[in-house]
Amino acid sequence: MTTTLPERQATPPAAPAGGPSRPPASRRRAFTRRRALTIAAFLAPAFVVVAVFTYYPMLSGSLGAFRTWTIYNVAEQPWTGLDNFRGVLTDPLFYGTVGNTIVWVIGSIVPQFVIGFALALWMRRKFRFRGIYQALVFFPWAVSGFLIGVLFRWMFNSEFGVINDLLMRSGIVDSPLPWLATPALAMPAVIIANVWYGVTFFAIMILAALQSVPDELYEASALDGAGKLRSFWHVTVPYIRTTLALTVLLRTIWIFNFPDLIFGMTGGGPGGRTHIVTSYMISITQQGEYGRASALGLIVMLVLAIFAVFYLLATREKKEAYR
Amino acid sequence: MKHRTPAFVAMIAAGALALTGCSGSSGDDGSDVSLQMVETLTNPARQKILKELIAGFEEENPGVTVELVSPPNEQALSTLQQMLQAGNGVDVLEVQDSTVGPFTANDWLYDMNSDLADWDGWDALTENAKSFANEEGPTYLVPYGFYGLSLFYRTDLIEEAGFDEPPHSWEDMIEMAEAINDPSANQYGYAFRGGTNGASNAAAIITAYAADEIDPENAFLLPDGSTVFATPEAEEAMTDYLDLFTNGSPPSSIAWGYPEMVQGFASGSTAFLLQDPEVIATIRDDSTLEEDQWSTTPLLVGPSGKAAQPLASAGWGVAESSEHKEEAVALVEYLSSGDAPLTFAKGNSLVPIVTAAQDDPYFAEGPWATYVSMNTDPDTYMNVVQPRAVEWWTEWEKKADRELQSMLLGESTPEDVLAGWDEYWSEKYASEK
Repeated sequence: MTTTLPERQATPPAAPAGGPSRPPASRRRAFTRRRALTIAAFLAPAFVVVAVFTYYPMLSGSLGAFRTWTIYNVAEQPWTGLDNFRGVLTDPLFYGTVGNTIVWVIGSIVPQFVIGFALALWMRRKFRFRGIYQALVFFPWAVSGFLIGVLFRWMFNSEFGVINDLLMRSGIVDSPLPWLATPALAMPAVIIANVWYGVTFFAIMILAALQSVPDELYEASALDGAGKLRSFWHVTVPYIRTTLALTVLLRTIWIFNFPDLIFGMTGGGPGGRTHIVTSYMISITQQGEYGRASALGLIVMLVLAIFAVFYLLATREKKEAYR
Repeated sequence: MKHRTPAFVAMIAAGALALTGCSGSSGDDGSDVSLQMVETLTNPARQKILKELIAGFEEENPGVTVELVSPPNEQALSTLQQMLQAGNGVDVLEVQDSTVGPFTANDWLYDMNSDLADWDGWDALTENAKSFANEEGPTYLVPYGFYGLSLFYRTDLIEEAGFDEPPHSWEDMIEMAEAINDPSANQYGYAFRGGTNGASNAAAIITAYAADEIDPENAFLLPDGSTVFATPEAEEAMTDYLDLFTNGSPPSSIAWGYPEMVQGFASGSTAFLLQDPEVIATIRDDSTLEEDQWSTTPLLVGPSGKAAQPLASAGWGVAESSEHKEEAVALVEYLSSGDAPLTFAKGNSLVPIVTAAQDDPYFAEGPWATYVSMNTDPDTYMNVVQPRAVEWWTEWEKKADRELQSMLLGESTPEDVLAGWDEYWSEKYASEK
């Protein structure tokens, strides 16, 4: 697998000679043009797929936000400047969905994080059938969000649902609660479904991180007299901080962009009380108003990008403060 | 050669990928014609029936093959739109009354009227079917059947409550529902539709109350061009409807859509259900109810003694971009005449498009008889057209569902909601002129 001498001479130095001695050819292959070409050729399919199926539609969809683009006349899409954005921002329903989104994201992520963390800590210990149990815990993640929405729609059904049945049998309530028909109960109901669904992801990620914490650290902290709680706060948490921060960031973005469950469960009702920004965006798309939906999509992207930047800055500062 | 291999493989892969993306799907070889038929309301049972009908067509037309494309329901419409926009790959397509507007606005549908001029199938069609196919032209679709509402009711429950016959009017039904309603026993009167498409049932009661006023060609308007929502009849209807919800329906039915309503009736929780004929099969197959515990009765009438039947329909059309329009129209004709429409209507629980259905025992007896009998009394059960083909129909449905829910939640009054609807439709029609 060594390159021939003429080829190597024809190739300009691959990297600036940083150190006085280059690693021997047997350990590090010279970066030849042919090699560059090979790498590029292998990357090309992935690059082409991503460019054609992700970035091109994204770009063309984004341009749609500045055009009159509706199902009623797909052929003509005149530019309209910021009209679509104005349409979104002057829509009274939009602000309701923003409030709902905040409740939905925070209400979902906090319990998901806490329960997911607890599950991960528990599954880290070795016990019989741990593998089977892990598989069972991770199972919900493999099910489609819409399907979960439909399942929970029946579970929360006032007359035939298992939740009211359990609550009434255990004497917690006297009469069935109209979960999905009451504004005050509908949002908690969709959040409960989402927590059930999303706990799994936290459990997977945190468990993987926990398994990377070396046992020696726990042994050392035990020798120093640290109890379980102390070693948790001072060994476990700092060690997996990066994973925690990234998982929370990812989940925040995903929950924000997770209208599937809401669509299956309430369709945004009652009276729009469970519509989040992204489910509202889909309902605008269903009305054939692609331009306005694109504008809303761009607003969502912008908000999430700003959130991600601030979030990453905030978590990095904390990390540095610890040093 | 040794190092060339991986680069070579990668380039081949990239090239192949690019080619797959670019290649067209033209399979036009020789004199044989291959038609693509796209359906948008698919299910396995329906596919089976369609494939059988297609096989019959292929047998009658040697040299023509039909490929049925059935995208999954949720994506079907957008898939079809993309195919139509791309301008190839569709010859025959399913056209719903709510898509005919946008599709014709984009010039995607072919006017079959002149091709159908000599078609002998016209005479076998019912009046409704003829009017939906628009015999005078332009003909963008020939319907395959109708969805129509009738009232499903519990014979035993109304008897226990002291009534000897099924309700005839909305007023009767509201009275009975409220008499039967007993939340403490988990027994309710009416399977109220408050969730998805809830506003369509609100429109049913409004148009029944205002049946004497409305323009049958556009049930949302009066002959003078003002909207039905501004009439005193509409206000009376909406007030009664809210009363029916409050005193005769399960509180959770604010969120009820099709599955909950059917489940509510089939499980015995509610005594009345306003639904399409397809529910007949569901209740027969999958219910705790015995056959003698339930029946159907015609759509409820308003104070004027009339009901407005908002017939919803869908049918088969031909794409403007089709290169085989002659064969495509022949397929539409085949599906709309002879035994084909009856087979299709039975298999899909639709009100049939051909008059021969009256003599078919399947439709003439039992719960189905209601639908057929409604069609024989057009003075009481007026056939009206809801403006489902307007461009803003989907927007309207979403808006109206949401506002109906707020009324049920007590956040707005029937007057507020109707005033908003009147303003919406007046503005939409004004901006069209």
